[in-house]
Amino acid sequence: MNTIKLYFRSMAMLLKSQLQYPASFFMQTLAQLVMEGGEMLAVILIVDRFGRLGQWMPGDLFFFFGMMSVTFYLTEFFGRGVTGNFSSLVRSGQLDTLLLRPRGVLTQVLCSAIDPRRVSCIAVGVAALVIGSGMSKVQWTVLKGLAMAESILLGVLLVLGLFLIEAVFSIHSVKSVELVNALTYGGRSACQYPIDIFPRPLRLIFTVVAPFALTLHVPAAYILGKPLYGWPDWTAFVTPLAGAALFAVMYAVFQRAMRFYRSTGS
Amino acid sequence: MSYIAVEGLNKTFAVRKKRQGRLLREKTLVRALQDVSFSIERGELVGYIGPNGAGKSTTVKILSGILTPDGGQVNVGGRVPWKERKDHVRRIGVVFGQRSQLWWDVPILDSFSLLRDIYRVPEGEYRARLARLTDALQLEDFLRTPLRLLSLGQRMRAELCGSLLHGPELLFLDEPTIGLDAVSKLALRDFLKEENERNGTTILLTTHDMEDIAALCPRVMVLGHGKKLYDGALPQLLSRYDTLRQLTVRYEAETSLPPLPESCAVSREGADWKITYAPAALPTSQLLSLLQSAGPIRELTAQPQNIDHLIAAMYREMDL
Repeated sequence: MNTIKLYFRSMAMLLKSQLQYPASFFMQTLAQLVMEGGEMLAVILIVDRFGRLGQWMPGDLFFFFGMMSVTFYLTEFFGRGVTGNFSSLVRSGQLDTLLLRPRGVLTQVLCSAIDPRRVSCIAVGVAALVIGSGMSKVQWTVLKGLAMAESILLGVLLVLGLFLIEAVFSIHSVKSVELVNALTYGGRSACQYPIDIFPRPLRLIFTVVAPFALTLHVPAAYILGKPLYGWPDWTAFVTPLAGAALFAVMYAVFQRAMRFYRSTGS
Repeated sequence: MSYIAVEGLNKTFAVRKKRQGRLLREKTLVRALQDVSFSIERGELVGYIGPNGAGKSTTVKILSGILTPDGGQVNVGGRVPWKERKDHVRRIGVVFGQRSQLWWDVPILDSFSLLRDIYRVPEGEYRARLARLTDALQLEDFLRTPLRLLSLGQRMRAELCGSLLHGPELLFLDEPTIGLDAVSKLALRDFLKEENERNGTTILLTTHDMEDIAALCPRVMVLGHGKKLYDGALPQLLSRYDTLRQLTVRYEAETSLPPLPESCAVSREGADWKITYAPAALPTSQLLSLLQSAGPIRELTAQPQNIDHLIAAMYREMDL
C-alpha cells in the first residue's frame, strides 16, 4: 500500500466520519459559502466603486481572487491536518501516537484530517475564475491551462509550507501563532488582489517571504495577457517553483523539529 | 543477547517554570531516568510499577522509539528503537489506557482496515488475525459501531485488537485496566495471559492496579525517582512489607477486650473489634488465647494486608 493510496483511503474514512453529523456538516458548508461570498462581495464593491485598480480591469480582479480562493481552500480541504490545529496534536499527545506507526509523521498528519466544508469556498473561487476570464476575454490555450494548473498545484504546496512554519513553532512549544497567521491568512487576504497595487514592503513580503506573487500572480497575469512587471511569458512557468521551494525548505525544517521533539519529550 | 537490553539509561527533561521576570524563564532539570538497566527475554510478561512521575512512561516512550535518551544503550530485538523508528514500530504494539489510537467517529472495523493499510499487513494475514482477535476479545457484536458509542470496556478491547492486528512481537500496555469494571478487567487479564502464552508475545505492563500485577506478572520491576529499585518476583518483594495481620473478633456478649501488648492496634466497628498485630512479635496462638480469656467468641476472621497497603508501605520506605 503506497502513500498516495493510504491518503485517499484515509480521506474516504474521514469523509464518512464527517457525514456522521449531516446537519452540522451542511450548515457549516453553508456558513463557509456565506463567508467566502462576502470576500467576493468586497471585490465586487471595489470594482463597482473604482472600476479598475491600476492596470487591472474588473474581470482581472475576479480572476486574481479566484486563483487565491481555489488554491487556499484546496489546501484547507485536503491539507486540513497541517492547516488545522497542529498545536493541538502536540498538546494532546496525539503526535506520540503517530510516531508509533511505521509511516512518516507528515504523511500521517495529512491523513488525519480533511475539511470538505471548504468545497463551497472552492466553488466561489471557481465561479470567480469563470466570470473573470469571461469578462477579461481570456484567449485560452493549452499553455495557459498548464500554467494555471501548475500555479494552483504549487500554490497548494506554498500554503502548506507556510502552515508548516506554525507546526514547527508548536513543536518547539513556542506560541507565535499570530505572527504566522499574518503570512497565511494575511497572505490569503492581501494576495487575492494583484501584488503591484501594494506598497513596496508588502510587495517584498509576499514575493520573498511568502511568495504568493511568484506562485499565483505571475502566472495569472500571463493568462490575462498582461505580464506582471512586463516579464517574458516563460517566467510564468518558472516563478511558481518558489512555492515548491518554500515547501521543500519547510519540510526539511519540520523533519529537524521532529528530531528535536523526540529528544526533548513531551 | 536478551530480547530487550537496556544499559545505563538516562533521560533529563528541562521543565520551564512560570515566567517570573520579564524575559528569563527559569528552567529546572528533572532527571526522569537515572542509570536504569534491565533486560527482558522474549516471551516474558513483566509488570512495571512505581508511583506517578517515577519515569515509567519515559521508559516506555524510549523503548517504543518516541523519545531519544540522553545516554545509555537500548536494544530491542537487535534494533535501536529511536534510530530505526519505522522498522522498530512495525514490530511493536502500544496501548495507552487513557488515549485512543482508533478513529472516534467511524465503525471500529473501518479503523482496523486503515491500520492494516498503515502497517501494510497482507490481506490474508489480516483476515486471520482479525478473526482470532474478534473471537478472543468478543468484538463481533460491535465491529460496525463507531468507537464513540462503545463503553469503556468495549473500547479497551477494541484498542487491544487494533494494537495486535499487525502481529507485534512486543506489546506495551500503559494502564490498560483503568476505569474498567470487574468483569471487563478479568476478561482482559485472561486475554493478555493467553496472548502471552499462546503467541509468545512479550508484554511490558505498566499499571497502578496491583491486582493486575499479581494476576499476570511473574516478574515485576519497581521504579522510583527515575531509578530502578527492585527487579524480581512480586511475592518476594511483598514479603518484606507483608508483616502485619488483622483479626476481626465478635463476642457472644458485650465484653471489653483484655489488655493486649502495646504493639497491637485496636479499633472498634459496631460489635466488631479489629486488632492489627505483627505475628513475628506476637504469635497468633498467644493472641488468640488472650482474646478467648475475655469470653466466648462468636466470629473470628483473619485477613492479610491489602496489597495496595503493602505497596504504599514500600513506597514510603523507599521514600518515594
